[in-house]
Amino acid sequence: MVAVFPCHPQPWDMFMYNSRQALLFVLPALLLYVAFVAVPILQVAAYSLFSWDNGSIKAFSGLGNYQRLTSDGVFWTALGHNAIWAVLTLCFPLMIGLVLASILAERSPRTIRLMSALYFLPRTIPLVVAGIIWGWIYNPIFGLLNYVLDLIGLGSLGGAWLAESGSALLSLNAAGAWTFYGFCVLIYLSAIQSIDPSLYEAASLDGAGWGQRFRFITVPLLKSTTLFLGLYAAIEAMRFFDLVWVTTQGGPGYDTEVLTTHIYKTFFLVGDFGYAAALSVVLLAIVLTIGGLSYRILSQS
Amino acid sequence: MKTNKTHMRRLQATLSLMVMATASGAMAEPVPVVQWDQFSNAGITAAGPAMEELIKVCEAALPDVNIERTVVPSIGIRESYRLAVSADKTPDLGYTWPAASVLAGYARTGKVAPLNSYYDKYGWDNVNAFYRGRNSYQGKLYAVPMEQDLMGVYYNKAMFAELGLEVPKTYAEFKTVVDKIKEAGKIPIAFGNRDRWPATNTLSLILGLTAGRAEEEKVFFGEEPWTNPKFKLAAETFQQWGKDGYFPKGFNGIGYDEANALFLGGRAAMNITGTWVLQDMARGAKFDLGVFMLPPISDGVPPGTMWGEGSQWQVSAAASDAAKDAAASYINCLTSKENRKTWVEKGYLVPIGTTAEDLKAWNTMPVVKDFYAEGLKTPDTNFYDLHTTVPESVTQVLYPELQKLASGDETPDSFLAAIQASWQAAIANGERWVP
Amino acid sequence: MTRTSRVFQHAVLLLFALYALVPVYLVVLASLRSEADLFSGPLTLPWPIDIGNFRRVWFESGFSQFFVNSLMISTGSTLLVMLTAPLAGFAFAKLKFPGKEILFGLFLAGLVVPAPSVIVALYGDLQMLGLLNTRIGVILPQAALLLPFSIFMMRTVMEDVPDDLLEAATIDGATLFETFTKVVVPIVKPGLLSLALIAFLFSWQEYLLPLVVIQDETLKPLTVGAATLQGRYGVDYGGIAAAGIIAFAPIVVLFLVLQRSFVRGLTAGAVK
Repeated sequence: MVAVFPCHPQPWDMFMYNSRQALLFVLPALLLYVAFVAVPILQVAAYSLFSWDNGSIKAFSGLGNYQRLTSDGVFWTALGHNAIWAVLTLCFPLMIGLVLASILAERSPRTIRLMSALYFLPRTIPLVVAGIIWGWIYNPIFGLLNYVLDLIGLGSLGGAWLAESGSALLSLNAAGAWTFYGFCVLIYLSAIQSIDPSLYEAASLDGAGWGQRFRFITVPLLKSTTLFLGLYAAIEAMRFFDLVWVTTQGGPGYDTEVLTTHIYKTFFLVGDFGYAAALSVVLLAIVLTIGGLSYRILSQS
Repeated sequence: MKTNKTHMRRLQATLSLMVMATASGAMAEPVPVVQWDQFSNAGITAAGPAMEELIKVCEAALPDVNIERTVVPSIGIRESYRLAVSADKTPDLGYTWPAASVLAGYARTGKVAPLNSYYDKYGWDNVNAFYRGRNSYQGKLYAVPMEQDLMGVYYNKAMFAELGLEVPKTYAEFKTVVDKIKEAGKIPIAFGNRDRWPATNTLSLILGLTAGRAEEEKVFFGEEPWTNPKFKLAAETFQQWGKDGYFPKGFNGIGYDEANALFLGGRAAMNITGTWVLQDMARGAKFDLGVFMLPPISDGVPPGTMWGEGSQWQVSAAASDAAKDAAASYINCLTSKENRKTWVEKGYLVPIGTTAEDLKAWNTMPVVKDFYAEGLKTPDTNFYDLHTTVPESVTQVLYPELQKLASGDETPDSFLAAIQASWQAAIANGERWVP
Repeated sequence: MTRTSRVFQHAVLLLFALYALVPVYLVVLASLRSEADLFSGPLTLPWPIDIGNFRRVWFESGFSQFFVNSLMISTGSTLLVMLTAPLAGFAFAKLKFPGKEILFGLFLAGLVVPAPSVIVALYGDLQMLGLLNTRIGVILPQAALLLPFSIFMMRTVMEDVPDDLLEAATIDGATLFETFTKVVVPIVKPGLLSLALIAFLFSWQEYLLPLVVIQDETLKPLTVGAATLQGRYGVDYGGIAAAGIIAFAPIVVLFLVLQRSFVRGLTAGAVK
């Protein structure tokens, strides 16, 4: 979960002197975090400076592993797919989420509750299981999608959705969107509900239709929510793994390869820990940059 | 780490105690041997019941051995084993795949123990020169291969009879058979490559039958590049099979198990795969199941098939001497002639060294007997499995490139060029396995 | 609003409800079927309902154990988060201490850390600590990876606690810790419930971490169990579907019962 909004610290002056106790409050979390997140990150950074052979350190290699990045075509392909994934996510689940939320907002609380629960349902399903289900939908032999296309006489459009160069990444993204658009609906809904209703009433009195209210009130006022979701989506687009791994493992060819699968293969299957670590550091640098940017942008807005 | 050391010290103490105890005729305290294997009860290498029984048998026969078994599913054992090795937690005894190429990596880094002294002690004549080579690195033996893997063509005898087809004796006949199956509206060859590794087997078979073993060895162990004309013919042949509808539509999106199901469900006439699914095939086929060997594709290439070891027993270099000794005596028990019978009868697993005559005498299904009778006829010309012969870094290029080659998204030339590039990188990196 | 546009809006709402539901329906359907060929028959639920697949994976494929493991791992991580994050969140919201902003920034950075990039090193560390192949070995890093979000959320929640209540408690002679447990915790209970739910949800869904840390069949959680079913036992769609449902049904039930708390947790901090 990423939720990077600036807070407004209101220090409770009574305790200003009590810094030692305050640190004790933070300490348990800090210890856990340092031991299992911060230290491993530093270790990974250190690993990336060595060459490895089948899981054992061979020699110090300086920035050798990073130099390899430039000539590693798979890395660049993967990075491109991450970028496409981010754009697709911005186009589809975010827009759908916004539209659904603004339609829903005008319905009764019961409808809102029911529908938003439905939309969110897929998010409660572990991605591994989601991947398996969508694998069945796209299956070339018995897949539901081909079956339905056949039923409506469009059988010629059928194919091996996850196994063809042209459709693999897109098809996978539709599965990813399935688990994400409900979240967008929820976030947009709660943002819309915090908009002053009198704005809508005034607009309605002036004769503005639903489309106009959507365009001139909802969309502009939800700019920061959209920004938040967009950055969230971008970070998730860099980090996702489970869905690809259980469906295509990056295939066919390299058509659904992303950074995390490239890291996984380099690490677990090739046993080149040094290069896998270098890839991890690059991935981390990218997400930290996006994260930092989001923090800055969202603080300003 | 600390616990490891104390553990080892304790083992050494146990060993010396044991020696004294045996000398005085008393019962020895058994040496624990941590074993990782992949024998589940169904699917690939489904010899779980046989493994369970043999642990009991061997522990009874070897009072000083105590097996502590962990089943690591076949799909994940490569990853798990590598992680364990990197964390110095190599199990005393492991049974992992893919064979030669990965084993060489662990031998190179000193993580698995040389077993020459145990080979001398126990003989292990069942492991022939070919397999000894595959389990060696720079002249030393590092593992004991067990499963005799062979590739062949499973076929639906009933469907062949219905369509008036004979088992093909030549490649031309094979092509005719495929054409007739296609005309009849059936899938000629059940093939699914979503899992990415099945195509390495298919290509290995085609490669051996277009280039032949001698030519393969020039590339694998010599200086000949992958981009040679014979390898190119193999790549072209494989791609042509895909183009000509030998395989089901969308095969890159079909799982290995789904492809097997297509065959078992009577929708495909043939299934080109290995003995590692013999159990599922034999049990699952509701029709008369047959096996034949794919005829040579190029003129002048002798008949033969792809063979290899499914996995091999390897011993951790970090294990105590007592644990190594115990593991070796246990391996000796597992691969002894009378216990091979258990593997065959209870596990559908045919250990290396089992002859066609042995199988005839033992209680197993006809298709098992036929498969091995055919495959073991040509020991001198049987050839390599790419998947277990090339280093992992090459395998990881082979997987995606093969998907592209099979689907026609890439030409045979650029396929071979890609493999050659990763091959050279692997050699430069010292990753190549040479027996 | 015109009638047509109203109808159109309804259609859009329903269309996307179908998008959410059809795949779920499909897996339910598959779990109740026994045919090897998944969707060859009609796409209606079979009657009477046959729960043979559930019984089989539950009793024979080890899913009763996987379920217990998921429960233990998720509960453990959630507990750990609940024991640490609210305290830290409180300190970040209400107390002043040196290095506060830097520490908070350090936690914030963790919001984006991808699990695959720490796992490389984590494995060796867990081995050193003797935690490899144990449930604790999953629980500790899982909780640590959840901390950034949890602390962020807790800080937001704690900020809403009125200062004068805290001051009153202090004047009554309560220690800081007593103030926290007796005054703050009761006020932020709904927030704590939301956090617990979210932490539980994310731990329950985690795949890579337990995949790497645990080898032992008897310690695996549901996600890993369900993924290894694929391709392991031949084609067993019914079994895999049943396994999948076992893997997500508890969360769905939890979500439907406690929807409000879930939504509050998910939207915490995102909208202000």
